[in-house]
Amino acid sequence: MSAPAISAPHDHGHGDGHHGHIHLQYQPGLPLSRGKLIMWLFLSTEIMFFAALLGSYIVLRFGAAVWPKPHHVHLSEPLGAFNTFVLICSSVTVVLALEAAKANKTSLAKIWMLATLLLGALFLGVKAYEYQAKFAHGIFPQAPHGLIYERPDLYYGSAVRDRLDNLRKVPVSQVPAALRLPDDTKAKPGDTVDVLKRLDEAPEGSLNAEQQRARTAFQLVQKMVMNLDQQAYDMAVIADQVAPLPSEGAAGAAGHGGGHGINDAFPWLRLPMVIPGGNMWASTYFLLTGFHAVHVAVGLIVFTVLLGYTLGPKNAGMIENAGLYWHFVDLVWIFLFPVLYLF
Amino acid sequence: MSNHSASHDHAAVHDHAHGGLGKYIAVFAALCFLTTMSFFTYSPAWPWRDQPQVGWAFMMAVSCTKALLVVLFFMHVWWEANWKYVLTIPAAMMALFLVIMLVPDIGMRNRMVSQERAIHMARPADVLLLQKAQEAGHSEAAAH
Repeated sequence: MSAPAISAPHDHGHGDGHHGHIHLQYQPGLPLSRGKLIMWLFLSTEIMFFAALLGSYIVLRFGAAVWPKPHHVHLSEPLGAFNTFVLICSSVTVVLALEAAKANKTSLAKIWMLATLLLGALFLGVKAYEYQAKFAHGIFPQAPHGLIYERPDLYYGSAVRDRLDNLRKVPVSQVPAALRLPDDTKAKPGDTVDVLKRLDEAPEGSLNAEQQRARTAFQLVQKMVMNLDQQAYDMAVIADQVAPLPSEGAAGAAGHGGGHGINDAFPWLRLPMVIPGGNMWASTYFLLTGFHAVHVAVGLIVFTVLLGYTLGPKNAGMIENAGLYWHFVDLVWIFLFPVLYLF
Repeated sequence: MSNHSASHDHAAVHDHAHGGLGKYIAVFAALCFLTTMSFFTYSPAWPWRDQPQVGWAFMMAVSCTKALLVVLFFMHVWWEANWKYVLTIPAAMMALFLVIMLVPDIGMRNRMVSQERAIHMARPADVLLLQKAQEAGHSEAAAH
């Protein structure tokens, strides 16, 4: 297949007689459609984009003195494997949609396209669930400082004490429902409550066994942080009471369970916790999976638009290009899954 | 060159040569098998649990195989003309350079650290300390 190329006359200098004439030259075109060429050019930039992200992660991870184990940050390997399976299935359905469109089976193509869309949405749903599990455990990057501390040291101990101090003056409107008293409704704007005191004095019957255990730990922590002239080991005890590092296999489904700390029983306390290497982990995890999720979302938009067309041979080129993009998104996840969940 | 004629040519010329449901199912089955293989490193049956490097190398090999399968068959690169090398090889080399260039400054950042950073960065000893505190807490709870 050749594309005609128009070349302008080169001989401006001398040949007046040629002025105004256009020489037509035929140059061989590339053996692929322009849309596909542009898609491949775009994908080659995407290779570098994700290689830089993934490469930075690997370099950061292996250059770090400590990196959290997947269960320390509540990663669920089975969920990650399930998402890998979902994306592989969606790659197959988009290939089948293209084949059906080429064979002029338009309604079949539409079914496969719809299946791709649903699988992509399922992937994003699982991802959102995983993100939620991280947020619930206080794992997210945050400036100037999130809840994650790198070491059980004096800085950590004083951060816990600062947080406890703040909890002595909580605006009435922000008091957790479980700790509200009937009198709170009469509070004037600006009135504050010592929620620590209320937690201390909460009647035995109002707390379940897990919360009961957490309250005991919480009273211990309060006592310990009174005096910060302490050993690193004592800070480790505080950290363990607030949010113990889950042991292997304890992360379980969706990263829930495993933790029996104060933060797990009373998430609204939001006490600082210790996950060695956790901050860098959170930054890289959310950056990598976030950019990948954005790509998935863009793919879903493309598929939604495509569903509005007749998916026959005439539009097979569009499906092929969308499919190329989608396979690339799948490809990125093929590397992200082992590197993030299993390394 | 309209999209119509392009896709029509494509459908007419290539469809008998490649593709086909059977091939895609085979690739799909291979991908599922390979995913199970890399997930196998997570299971207790994996024999090299105390040597994570073996698992890493194994998983990277599995991932590269999966990526190759997707690129070659799902993205049809297997059947494409030589232009595929022009686009993929420089991009792949650039990707590799991007990573290697990070090694001196980022990968080796902990070889020489300032006092200030040393105070705040996590150390393996901290993980051990946390585990010690946890074990002590467990045995205390068991005693009660």
